[in-house]
Order: sequence, then C-alpha cells, then structure tokens
Amino acid sequence: MARMLGDVLIALAPTVVMAIVVFGLAAFRNLAISVAVMCLAEFVYVLIRNRIPYDGKKHTFKEQWKAGVSKYTINNFLAPCLSGVIFALIMPASTNPGYVIYVALIVGALVGIVIGKLVFGGTGSNIFNPAALGMVFTKLCFGSKFDYESNYYESNYFITNIATGGTPLTNLGSYTYPGVSNYVGQFAGINDYSILDLFLGRVPGMIGEVFKITILVGMIYLLFRHAIDFRVLVSYLGCYAFLMALAGIIVCNKIPTVSFGQFMGFAMFSGGVLFGAVFMFTDPVTMPIDSPSRVMYGLLGGALTVIIRIFGALPEGVAFSILLCNMMAPVLDYPAWSGREYTKKKVAVMASIVLIPAIILVLALLFAPEVKA
Amino acid sequence: MICKSTTIKDSKGLLGRLPTLKADVPEFVFIATDNARCPASEVYVKEGDHVKIGQVIGLRKGPFFEQPIHATVSGTMVGYEKHYHRSGKLVNFIKLQNDFKEEWDPSCSPRSDEEIAKLDRKGFAEILKANSSVGLGGSSFPTYVKFQTEAKIGTILVNAIECEPYITADHRIMLEEMEKIIGGIRYLQQAFDCKNAYICVKAKYTDLRQVYGAFLKRYKDEGIKLKAVGNFYPQGWEIAMIRSATGIKIPSGHLPSEFGIVDFNVSTVVGIYDSVKYNRPVTDRLISITGDGIRYPSNFKVRVGTPIRSLLERCGGYKHPEKDKILILGGPMMGASLPSDDCIVTKTVTSVIVLDAEEHKEEPCIRCGSCLLSCPAGLEPKQIMDAVKAMDKKRVKELKPMRCVECGLCTYVCTSHIHVTDYIRRAKTIAKLP
Repeated sequence: MARMLGDVLIALAPTVVMAIVVFGLAAFRNLAISVAVMCLAEFVYVLIRNRIPYDGKKHTFKEQWKAGVSKYTINNFLAPCLSGVIFALIMPASTNPGYVIYVALIVGALVGIVIGKLVFGGTGSNIFNPAALGMVFTKLCFGSKFDYESNYYESNYFITNIATGGTPLTNLGSYTYPGVSNYVGQFAGINDYSILDLFLGRVPGMIGEVFKITILVGMIYLLFRHAIDFRVLVSYLGCYAFLMALAGIIVCNKIPTVSFGQFMGFAMFSGGVLFGAVFMFTDPVTMPIDSPSRVMYGLLGGALTVIIRIFGALPEGVAFSILLCNMMAPVLDYPAWSGREYTKKKVAVMASIVLIPAIILVLALLFAPEVKA
Repeated sequence: MICKSTTIKDSKGLLGRLPTLKADVPEFVFIATDNARCPASEVYVKEGDHVKIGQVIGLRKGPFFEQPIHATVSGTMVGYEKHYHRSGKLVNFIKLQNDFKEEWDPSCSPRSDEEIAKLDRKGFAEILKANSSVGLGGSSFPTYVKFQTEAKIGTILVNAIECEPYITADHRIMLEEMEKIIGGIRYLQQAFDCKNAYICVKAKYTDLRQVYGAFLKRYKDEGIKLKAVGNFYPQGWEIAMIRSATGIKIPSGHLPSEFGIVDFNVSTVVGIYDSVKYNRPVTDRLISITGDGIRYPSNFKVRVGTPIRSLLERCGGYKHPEKDKILILGGPMMGASLPSDDCIVTKTVTSVIVLDAEEHKEEPCIRCGSCLLSCPAGLEPKQIMDAVKAMDKKRVKELKPMRCVECGLCTYVCTSHIHVTDYIRRAKTIAKLP
C-alpha cells in the first residue's frame, strides 16, 4: 500500500517540479498549505481515533498522545500527502483579492480531507475523492475570485497576446456564432488557442493540470508500475474521445472555420481531463472493484464529463463527474449484479452508458434552436 | 500492483539437485489415529502387543470411507501420546517402539506378474483400499475412490508440477524413482484401459525434461509422454493442470472423471506401484526440509511416523536460533502453520518449511482489486471478506466461497498485507451453516 501511494507521488513529481518552476512561490505556497492542512487533519484524526478506551481511570493528555502516536504509520502520512498534492495542483495560482487564496486553500483542504475521507473512517473507507471534493467546494465558494490574469502570465513561458480573461474553457462561454445554437456556437472560440500551446501548458489554468507532457510522463510511469488500473483510464479517455468526436463532426459541419483536428486537440488538452483521468479517476479506493464495473465506471465518467462540458453551466466537468461517479461506485459493486465475468447484460449496460449520452448529444447539437442574446 | 499476478517467488534454489538423504529410523515412531478426513478411529492392538511392518493396527472411520492404519516399524506398542498433526491440530498418536529387526507382516508378500495382469479396475480399487493408499501430494484423498468411477477414461495425468515454493520432494522422486513411476503408470493404464498418459512438469525444469526425454525412449510404444506446462501458480491445482495439459475446462462442482480424465500425484503413483506389486502400504516417503530459517536444507527419505524434531537436528538446526521461527508443514502457500516443532511426519507431509518470523502489519484495504484479478477460482475475495466482517450469511453464500482452493494467492498479492485467505476460511464455515 505504501508502495502504491509512493508510486503515485513519484508520478506526480514532474508535474510538481514544472508547477514550481513556472509559478514559483505561488505553487510552492499552494502545495505547502494544502499538504500541511491535510496531514495535520489526518494526524488529529489518528489521535482521536486511537484514544485509550474508557476504563474508569483518568488518562493524562500525554498518555493519550502516546497511544495515538504509536498507531501513526507511514500510510497516515502518505495518503493525505497525496491528496494534498493533487488538491494543490488543481487550484489556481492566485485570486483577486489576493488573500482569498489562503482561505480557499485551507477551507478546501479541510473540507476535502474531513468530509471527503475522515468522517467515513479514514483511508480505504472513503466514498469521495478528497481532492475532488475539496476542489469542488472551493470552486463553488470562491470560484468567482479565481484569477488567471496576474503577472504570472506575463513571464516568458506564456503567450500574452491572447485574451486572458480566464482559462480556455471559461472563455468559451462568451463566444457565439450566427445561425447556430449556443451549444455549438461556443466552439467558435477554440481557434484562438493553438494545440501546441495547450499541450505545453502555455495557457492560463490551474497550476498543475495545464502541463500535459509531465502528466503523460506520470501516466506512463504509473502504467509501467501497475499502480493504476488501465481499465478505468482507457475506458474514461475512450468514452470521452468518442463522444467529443461525435460533437466535433457536428460542430465542424455547422461552423466552417473550425477544423476537426483543432476541435479534438482542444477537447483532449484543455482543462483537467488528462490530469483527472490519470490521477483522480484511478484512485482505487473510490472506484468499484470488479473489472467490468471499473470499465462501466470509466465510461460513465467520460460521458458525464462531456455532458457537463457542453451543456453545463460550469466550464469544467472533471471534478464534478468524479464525484458523481464516486457515488455510483457502491451501486456498481452491489453483489446482486457485480461479478468478474463480462456477461452479455454487462456489455449491454456498457453500450447504453455510451450510446444514451451520444444520442442526447447528437440531438441537442443538431436541433437545439438558436438563442438570441 | 493492480494487475493479475500469478508468478510467485520460487525459492527452491539448488535443493532439487541435492541427492536424497536416508534418515535413520527412530526408536519411537508415532502413527496418527485420526486425520482430517476421518475423525473417528478404532485401534486393534493394545499396550505391549508385538507388531510388524505393514500390519493393520487399527481403522480410521470417516463419513464416506474407512482407512486401515498400518504399522511402519516392527516392535512393540507402548501407548498413546498427543502430538501435532500436519493439519495443525493436536491429535492422538499410537506410539510404537522399534526393535530394529525390520520384519514385514506376512500379508505383505509380492504379487506375481500373472496375478497383476488379471486385475481389473475393481481389483485395483480393493488392493488400494486395503493398503489405505491416499493422495500423497497433501490432499490425503483416498485413491481407490478414483478407481470406483464407471466412466470411460481417455487421459491419465500424473502431477509432478509442485508449484509451491521451497518444496523439491516431487522433483527428487521424479529423478530417483523413475522405474517405479513408469511401473505405476502401466498399472494405471491397465486399470483404466487407456493408452494416453502424461507426466506434467513445469516448463522451466529443463533437467527433468532432458532426463525424461532420454528415458522415455525406452517406452516408445506405451503412450507415456512428458508434458511441459506453465510456470505459474497454482499450476499444480488439479483444474489448472488439466486445463494446461489437455485444454479441457472443468466447471466447479464436477469431477475430472466426468470428462474422461484421472489425475494422480507422482508420489501417489509410486505408492500405487508399491501397493500393487509388493502389497505394501506407504511406509517411507520423501520430504523436503527447507526454508530460510534452516541451516542446511535437504531432502530426506523418512519412515512415516518420525518426529520432525530429529530431522531438524539432522539439517544442522536453525540458522538463527535467537529469532522467532514459523514452522509450516506442506508448502508455504497452502500448508498449515504449526505452533511447535513437536509434530510427526505422516504419509501426506510433503515438506517442513522453517522461516524466520516477520512482522507484517495489516493495513486498511484500499480496494486495489489485485485479489479479484489474481484468484484462480474466479472468486471475489475482497467481497467475501467484507461479507464475513459484516457476518452477512446470505451474501457469503451468494459469493460461493466453497469454490476456494485455499491457494493463498490473495494473501500473497495483497498490497495491504491482509490475510485474505483466513477470511475465506471463515466464510467457508459460515457458508456451511444452515
């Protein structure tokens, strides 16, 4: 177990280094605060959990402390450390006003670790991914204060000639195209970003998830070490790519200026899809345990991400889809229908998980009426 | 490690190359009155009676079959003593004092070849029942039951795979008792009226493959072949071996004979040869005494009933006597761990493994799913464990823990060092409840 946690931390290392190199102290501050808060919360939890049981005598704090510390293992450090690093990497570098970032980091980390994990009984018993829960909570509370326009983006690494009002995905909402519905029209804006810049991370975004190369390096390492289940990764990315390709065909036909390659590149390399797929969807604790259920879990995640991205009010769907899928994991594990074999029924369920969103997607993109602003 | 892992550390080293040592017959031998399959027994001799080798001195009674108990030395019966049996339980043993005359009981006279040629399947079954021949690979399943089938048999498989780490007893038998193995297979071919016989060994044992490649040229027309099967664990499991050797997949709950296959362990085949040819029960067997905790690992040919303590001394004792030891009888993956070294070699003991005790703390399960991916029986160990923890009888039954062969792979692959197999054993007792 320590080995698997360690492997994921090693896989995250290139991304962490890249974030610190590019964002400097801001990234370091994010990492330090969130890791410290999560580790401290877990330590307090260990102390509380391993209190000396009531035996009529009064125990001093020192005895209680000793009893708790003796149960503190390396896993109690590595697990919150991992959650903390992931949480830090999906937070922005700065906020406007500046002090909000401290509040956001501390509150988000606390909510993530306490409500996402510790109340369920610590490592191995949690239903929700702590990092995703913390991120979603922070985004809902402080999302409007997130700032991608500060002086970090004027360094040499970034291109500053583009409109940097927000991340590529948040900017999409402001684009329209005459004669088509808003769902299709938003994609008229993707020509403003080159695929290379998206791939290299030279766009505004969260401090970790923009660097696709280091994420891919981490992914290869994890697959090589068998520290993540490739079924979830492949089914998630496959379902996401398939549905996005369907949308891409329709969008390219309706908007002649958008090419299909540009659309797919934008879909794959924008936002947190890759980061979420590699480091958050593959968290074994919060996913089902059978391999067919894991495939279903990945497919569901991909479909939800696409639906939220195209139709949702929020620009970024990965964290939300992770939480929604986490809720479905116990259902997929229910013994009445779980099992190791790929039966016909299960294949039918997998197909419907992909095809029902596909039909909704196609119908909505083709026939949704144009909304006049 | 979220992946299907079926390779385990072999740890056999060069033990398979060492010649077998002959252990001295001790002054006192101990014969178990009951075993796991036969919980009740009846003893025909009393204290002070004189016994000879091969004499029937009692009868073990089980729910489905009875087994005669044979003396393995000549001498006098001196009483009863409690020792540990290979199952890890404290069991009553008959204590026999050896007079070192090695006198055989008159009933153990060799059969002539003409007499053997007349035998049919039923005749073989009677001989094996009288000699209480059992599966010597560790199952102690009575061999004659396999001869009682009426089905037409197309293939005979001899299991010399020995997929457990450390043990090399079958490896040595394959090299040292070649003639007896071939003789035993001939009797099997006669009994089942079938030509096809395969001796299954692991593909990586190149020495066995070379030796048998040359040796089997003498028996060209007899249909005996060496079959190299996979190196994975548990390849020695009956169902896995049949699948690798013949390609037939036997569903759970069916007998191999329904598919025209019988299979025997290689030491059982040697035992069958002795019972049929010389009319003798199993009195000696090959065991490996090995493990990281023993000074000089060796293979021994020992008299059944020898206390293990004397054999450990023969191996030079423990390597690090100051450390805590774990004693395992019959393979580190499936065998039983013993609370003390005060135990006895019975017919079905294949090895004694001495390991230095290592403390592994159980960590919380992180649902990585390695146990599900690796389970050779197609079970869901993690789900069974959860059901056992919740004492949910209905759900335990739904998950069919009785299919488990207790190969121990789920405990081996667990990333959190959880003793999953122990939970499955508990699930089996829960599933037996009405």
